[in-house]
Amino acid sequence: MSQTRLNKQRISVMRSVFCAIAITAPASALADWTKSWVIEWNEPAHYYGAETGVIDPGTDCPQGTNPELDWVEVLVKAGYTREEAEWLRNPANPTRSPVHGQQQMAFRGEGRANVYINPESYPDTGLAGVTGSIAEGINLDGNTDTGFVSPDGEAGIDNTFYKALGCWKTYRGPERLSSGALQFNDIMRNGSWTMLIVASGKGEDPMNDENVMVGFYMSQDNMVKGGDGNVAADYTFRIEPHKKYEGIFPAQTINGTIVSTESVTATLRDPGYTRDLELLDAQVKLTMNKDGSLRGYVGGYRPWRPVYDGWVYARGPVIESLTWVELPSVYYALKREADYSPEGSGGERTHISYALRVDALPAYVVTPDASALATEVRSYKDEAPELPAMARGSLGTIRVVDGIVIDPRSEYQPGPDAVILPE
Amino acid sequence: MTHHPLRKLQALSALSSAVWGLCAASLLIPLSGFAQDSAVDQDDSITVAVRRLTESQYKNTIRDLFGDGIEINARFEPEQRENGLLAIGSATLSLTSSGFEQYFVLASSISDQVLGEERRASIMPCEPRSNVSDSACATEFISHIGSQLFRRPLSDAEIAARVQTAELGASQAEDFYAGLKLALTSLLVAPEFLFRIEQAEPDPEVAGRYRLDAYSKASRLSFMFWDTTPDAELLAAAGDGSLHGNAGLSAQLERLSRSPRMEAGARAFFEDMMQLDGFGNMVKDPAIYPKFNQLVADSAKEQMLKTVIDQLIVDQGDYRDLFTSNETFINRPLASVYQVPYISGEEWAEYEFPEDSDRAGILTQVGFLSLWAHPGTSSPTRRGIKIHEIFMCEPTPDPPADVDFSQVTDSEAGTVRGRLLDHMENTGCTVCHQRSDPPGLALEHFDGLGQLRKMENGQLIDVSADLFGKTFVGAKGLAEYLHDDPRAPSCLVRNVYAYGVAKAPGYQEREYLQQQAQVFADTGYRFASLFKQIAMTPEFFAVQLPEGLESAVASSDSAAQQD
Repeated sequence: MSQTRLNKQRISVMRSVFCAIAITAPASALADWTKSWVIEWNEPAHYYGAETGVIDPGTDCPQGTNPELDWVEVLVKAGYTREEAEWLRNPANPTRSPVHGQQQMAFRGEGRANVYINPESYPDTGLAGVTGSIAEGINLDGNTDTGFVSPDGEAGIDNTFYKALGCWKTYRGPERLSSGALQFNDIMRNGSWTMLIVASGKGEDPMNDENVMVGFYMSQDNMVKGGDGNVAADYTFRIEPHKKYEGIFPAQTINGTIVSTESVTATLRDPGYTRDLELLDAQVKLTMNKDGSLRGYVGGYRPWRPVYDGWVYARGPVIESLTWVELPSVYYALKREADYSPEGSGGERTHISYALRVDALPAYVVTPDASALATEVRSYKDEAPELPAMARGSLGTIRVVDGIVIDPRSEYQPGPDAVILPE
Repeated sequence: MTHHPLRKLQALSALSSAVWGLCAASLLIPLSGFAQDSAVDQDDSITVAVRRLTESQYKNTIRDLFGDGIEINARFEPEQRENGLLAIGSATLSLTSSGFEQYFVLASSISDQVLGEERRASIMPCEPRSNVSDSACATEFISHIGSQLFRRPLSDAEIAARVQTAELGASQAEDFYAGLKLALTSLLVAPEFLFRIEQAEPDPEVAGRYRLDAYSKASRLSFMFWDTTPDAELLAAAGDGSLHGNAGLSAQLERLSRSPRMEAGARAFFEDMMQLDGFGNMVKDPAIYPKFNQLVADSAKEQMLKTVIDQLIVDQGDYRDLFTSNETFINRPLASVYQVPYISGEEWAEYEFPEDSDRAGILTQVGFLSLWAHPGTSSPTRRGIKIHEIFMCEPTPDPPADVDFSQVTDSEAGTVRGRLLDHMENTGCTVCHQRSDPPGLALEHFDGLGQLRKMENGQLIDVSADLFGKTFVGAKGLAEYLHDDPRAPSCLVRNVYAYGVAKAPGYQEREYLQQQAQVFADTGYRFASLFKQIAMTPEFFAVQLPEGLESAVASSDSAAQQD
């Protein structure tokens, strides 16, 4: 290899993700240790209280997962004739094509209002919520007298998002087995997005350090799967500065667990249709495992309405049919369990306590220009390009309006006044 | 008269089948061996070797003649390694019937692409005067392309046969290019293209001796130096006879070795010598080596080749440093296996393992370590055998059929070293293992994927080795041992010669190879000039008449004298 070549790499071999960093810049800007990971799996931290299966009755949901609905009956209750309801639900009819969803199902509100964008035009049919006392997550408000108890006995766990939706098929199941977790983590692991975690500290012992910073960053480098189909460890990822998706958490480590020392505002990439996981009073509780992996929670109070809208714009009728839920009941459940009023909300509980369970593998994280290891946890937002305008109402190439697919070429157009039965 | 389109298609299809049959039959002629009657041609030339084009040679040739954009989708016939090299095996290969079908389908596809509307203007040396028939233009095309495909001028008969095919096809299909495609297809499946048929001719300077003809020399040089068909200049040097002279040969060798295309030739050589074709079917147990996937396998192979090319061709370094140098290239997947960060935004980046790293040289790269291991464990024996075979030209015989391997394969019992030592207590195994295992045992700090480790089943791994009294420790010790062992550069010289002539050197070439190894050493073990050094020697083009032909030639000569 020619000695005259520029930019020759001379990197020390590192046997693990932990790397001692030589001080070559102002000491105040650098950490004494840095560890980094790539999130290989993340899902809402929902405790599954059954010992078997994925929808069985358990301590969390004694009746089991909310059952599949009889949509003919739902439509009849909403004012459609039985003949109309059966026609709408008959797979042979064109309006039930996957592209269209069952668009007319949207119009079952009072006065045939679209229930997706006017959920309160429809009665709360009751989404059974979690009644158990155990939940995963973080004690966000520091109050041990409220909230759940964690599986290992910690009191005060704030996670009313789990209480509201934890018995919904989308969110219920053992780790990595709920339909929602499978769907979105598959998408993530197949390259839709990558999120990194970098932790750095100034103490001598990374396992017990009072002065730690934790950064959550995006990367455009995909995860790579090994021969066993799982994400492979020790790959290198470049930080992608992002205007929105980033979280910087002051923390400390106690016996290898990273715990927030103060709450922050952060927005991460949500493993769900909402995309934005906006968190107020956000905190982390992450354990560094001996094998180099990282596991734990990112918690905070997230606005609940975008969660509901995320499902609506993922094509309401499709979501309802596939996930055994009436979306208005999701709306009511979130609103009912919302437990946080941020400043400026006039006391309205616009936010709901939430925890994201994170599993991360050791990875090398480098600066955006790939010139060096990212040894400093800091914000890269100033270096990020402006975000493109959000094209709400489109799902890939499909145009979604008010929660339903609109195909202008279609002979049949759903709506309050649509003629249901063929003449 | 206008034919119905369907009828035209049927006629063309029938003609195509006829071309197939003709081509298949023609293959029988050169592949029938060196039968005395057929090997001595009417012009006194003798077929002295027939070597099937390798996959890369085929692809490179098509790319060079017709451009990068030609898609080549085919499953090539497997190659065969003989005496350590596929190149030697290529001289023993034939074609199976299914293999010929593959070549025929591929040839048709290439013809369609080459003479399709989009590309034909850049290929055709002439414009047909008629959409159906223009024998002059067809002749010009066939003669022009045919000489490049056959790597020599075509005979009148060879041209006439293809022109006839083209004309017949064109009239049947009422399309000049449809006929020409058939002619091109027949060239592409001709044995003269698929095989490098080396001809010897009477040496005008020494009565009774044969020499390789100039076009055969051109092909031998081109495929050795560039792994592709001879270019126009080399064919011209063959055509005007200058390749037979020292000055002409020297000029061409200089040109070939200075060309950037020399890298392709060196890559092909080292891919063959280091037996990197094994990556195509390498398997690892995903439960034991979860990081392994095809990307890692491909990258590991590429790392070895990039390292070799950079050190030996680009930097023109000392061949022996290949065993000790810490300089290499990595990409993202390999960085994961090596457990180092990948500090680059490019697909590949230069990388140097630090001095205190356990790794040193090409034998400690993931490629060598993973290729010569078991799917679920390392294998000091395999690694040792391959070090001896590939880098020292010392093959190891297969184990006896009745050996009990159960102790060795029990991967949960202690270290591999311990299990092998137990195995060596079997006296029938000792002879080979005491030679093959020590180099491999020195590499035991690397598991079956080439990942660094110090322990196995809870025990520290001992990487000391004793090879017939020569002791060394670990990969670095082995690297130094190989660096200083004269058998390694001598083996390279042997392999370069064998690769070029496609023949395993015999006892009679021993002195020649010793001399060449000395020259190689005297010039600083520079591989970059080794091809040129070997090709410049008369032995490189020496003709060894196939067994039985010497008497045939002699009787032929005496018959001619009687006439």
